[in-house]
Amino acid sequence: MSGHGPNSVPRRWARAILGVFFGLCAALVVAGFFVSPHGKHHALEEYRLFYPVYGFVGIAVLIVASKGLRRVVMRREDYYDDE
Amino acid sequence: MTSGLPPFLLFFAGAALAGATRGAVRKALLVLVPVLGAVNIAGVEAGDQLQMQLMGYVLQPVRVDELSLLFGYLFHLAAFIAVVYSLHLKKGDGATLQHVSAMVYAGSALGAVFAGDVISLFVFWELLAVSSVFLVWSRSGARAMRAGTRYLIVQVVSGVALLAGALARVDETGDLTFGYIGLEGLAGWLIFLAIGVKAAFPLLHGWLVDAYPEGTPTGTVFLSAFTTKVAIYALARAFPGTDVLVFVGAAMACFPIFYAVIENDLRRTLAYSMINQIGFMVCGIGVGTALAVNGAVAHAFNDVLFKGLLFMAMGAVMHMTGKTKASDLGGLYKTMPVTATLCIVGALSISAVPLFNGFVSKSMIMSALIYEGHVWIWPVMIFASAGVVEHAGIKIPFFAFFANDSGIRTREPPWNMIAAMSVGAAACIAIGVWPELLYGLLPHAVDYNPYDAPHVVTQLQLLAFAICAVVAFQLWKVYPAEIPAVNLDADWLYRRAGARMVRRCGDAAARAGLALREGAAAVATPAYRAAFRAHAPHGPLARSWPAGSMVLWVAVMLAAFLFFQFL
Repeated sequence: MSGHGPNSVPRRWARAILGVFFGLCAALVVAGFFVSPHGKHHALEEYRLFYPVYGFVGIAVLIVASKGLRRVVMRREDYYDDE
Repeated sequence: MTSGLPPFLLFFAGAALAGATRGAVRKALLVLVPVLGAVNIAGVEAGDQLQMQLMGYVLQPVRVDELSLLFGYLFHLAAFIAVVYSLHLKKGDGATLQHVSAMVYAGSALGAVFAGDVISLFVFWELLAVSSVFLVWSRSGARAMRAGTRYLIVQVVSGVALLAGALARVDETGDLTFGYIGLEGLAGWLIFLAIGVKAAFPLLHGWLVDAYPEGTPTGTVFLSAFTTKVAIYALARAFPGTDVLVFVGAAMACFPIFYAVIENDLRRTLAYSMINQIGFMVCGIGVGTALAVNGAVAHAFNDVLFKGLLFMAMGAVMHMTGKTKASDLGGLYKTMPVTATLCIVGALSISAVPLFNGFVSKSMIMSALIYEGHVWIWPVMIFASAGVVEHAGIKIPFFAFFANDSGIRTREPPWNMIAAMSVGAAACIAIGVWPELLYGLLPHAVDYNPYDAPHVVTQLQLLAFAICAVVAFQLWKVYPAEIPAVNLDADWLYRRAGARMVRRCGDAAARAGLALREGAAAVATPAYRAAFRAHAPHGPLARSWPAGSMVLWVAVMLAAFLFFQFL
């Protein structure tokens, strides 16, 4: 998060929004058990929790790896200023 | 041409008139050009063409088929939206230069997608580069000047590669037609490289993330619509089914999302996002089936709309606050609620949420990957799809409009910006809800329904849990902070490594030159001294200058001339 100022969204709104969102996530997992992939599909799609797990883990890996990338490629903002 | 005018002609005429007029007349004219262009192109049919002879070769400046028509419609829509978005420009913004170059740029893009031969394509290819650079240069400051110059050099190199490839192709086949080329021979590879630069293939992409974020708020909207999409068109025309493109596309879809997470400048984040989206298109073209190519070009169409919308929203923020960095922004929803809402529509579209346009085109590419048995690439592209939600779906709107309050209080942007964004947002939703609007324009017949229950549910699962991870990392306070910084990327190769190498070579050459001069002086100085000793005023050969001896020698020379005359 940016390092300045208080949260622009009031705390109770944020709570309400997140509450609805997590509810939706749970509903989607449940809904996943009522639909089955048909036609030609990927073997991984047979696992009913593939998409939720892959989405969450994928982003977790992405964020952690990006932090690692920062160690390699990040330079001061004026790095190119002497061109 | 059997019907209508060449599509680029109206825009070039519009550019000339935009340079000659001012005020309300010019505004009306600018809006009228894409509208008239659209009326013109509605009357153009597949099969139409314009041919001419040049030095024994047949050129086809205009050749119409389903593929070129799709991009023709797209570029008219994009030009209309971007023109409306830039109507507020004033004299101080370099309005004339921006309007004229934008018109030439849009016209060149149209010229390129309707060009039937490689030479005509080359002409429009270079015009694209030369006209668009002014949209970067129009943003005053040394930074933009330098970024623009680098951009121009790279684009011209792409053009040179295209010309070299075109000439090699004429040599190999004797045919100038721009159709399927494939990766065979020198010509194929050169043309592939030329298109690869413009399509921002990995390691050739430095220009995009370097220059696009340095453009003017309005200029970048034009930039985002044309250059890379012309490249996608060219790739779909010349290299469909080229296997290597599947892997190139997967790499393009993946590596930028890591950069996008850590990039602080939100317009640069969008530039990375652009490469990511182009990756999906390139992958689709690589698969090469009717469904995959349809998906690729449909995604290009949609990308112009949602990426344009996101660039417009960030441009509006930049126009009103002068800032684009996540670390400087936040809390703008309080004073720019309409812009924030429109930005969220763009974010939902690019994230491929059902009922928004990204969903209906990306699904075609993903399905095609499965149908053609790319079982290892498919999970990679699913990962890339989740990554889109992170940087474009959440990061862009969140850090600009919500997050921590930056204390900035501003107003909504001018009406024309809102109007342009609204048209873009409406198009995103319309295509999402009625995909047949777009499917009807695609080059191959379509029998595809993205809205079946398992597909919608699983897509929502993927997106929701990707967002869940972002939320969790935010709540745990381990999400990477927005830090004002520069992240090294491919442009480093020529901005630092290349520059350093050139400097070193220059230094070495200077040293060599100095050594050469010194060596030469070491040899020449004694010789000069010896000559000086002999011929200087006091030297033995110059001690006396008798006039008599000179007359004698002149007489000898005359005698010699006379002698030779007589012979």
